[in-house]
Amino acid sequence: MADQEKLVIMVTHGPEDPELATIPFVMAGAAVASDVDVVMGFQGEGCRLVQKGVAETVSAPEFAPLAGLLDSIRELGGQFLVCSPCVKSRGIEDELIDGAEVCAAARFVAEITSATNSLVY
Amino acid sequence: MATTHEDLVLDARGLLCPMPIVKTAKAMKELEPGQVLKVMATDRGSITDVPAWAETTGNELLEWHEEDSFLVFHLRKHD
Repeated sequence: MADQEKLVIMVTHGPEDPELATIPFVMAGAAVASDVDVVMGFQGEGCRLVQKGVAETVSAPEFAPLAGLLDSIRELGGQFLVCSPCVKSRGIEDELIDGAEVCAAARFVAEITSATNSLVY
Repeated sequence: MATTHEDLVLDARGLLCPMPIVKTAKAMKELEPGQVLKVMATDRGSITDVPAWAETTGNELLEWHEEDSFLVFHLRKHD
């Protein structure tokens, strides 16, 4: 294999749309399982998925439940970056899951421009 | 069909996409190069997912077949 591949997956849907909240985690799970580095970026309502206790409430028909997916992605080295203004406006900056890192736009840009590919959901 | 030897068995039956692949990747980490993993799955997506995963990761899909109510894959860990 050539250089280490990296996939950035931006998540903008939250618990209000379980399917579109789950699919990015499905892609991320398949990617980390395939030895691809994964950075997930959470913006807008998507940031609620890395608020403590929320992933456990999200499940879409015919897809694996979100909480187990999230744990597996984290265990296999996936990174979770969360939009700073998005968490502040929702007042959840102190309620994020372990491993979720709050950052701003330039960090997302740096991750995306250094990635093999990016997906936006 | 000749029985394929396996060093480790992963029962992924009942798991939904993409957990069979995620569990397969984790199980493969426990094996030495050349050893064989048997995966049992009921998710029909595995029929395309397991070969794609093997191709991407350089592991070898030795064979797959259907039992009465589930799928069986034999994968050899790459060197």
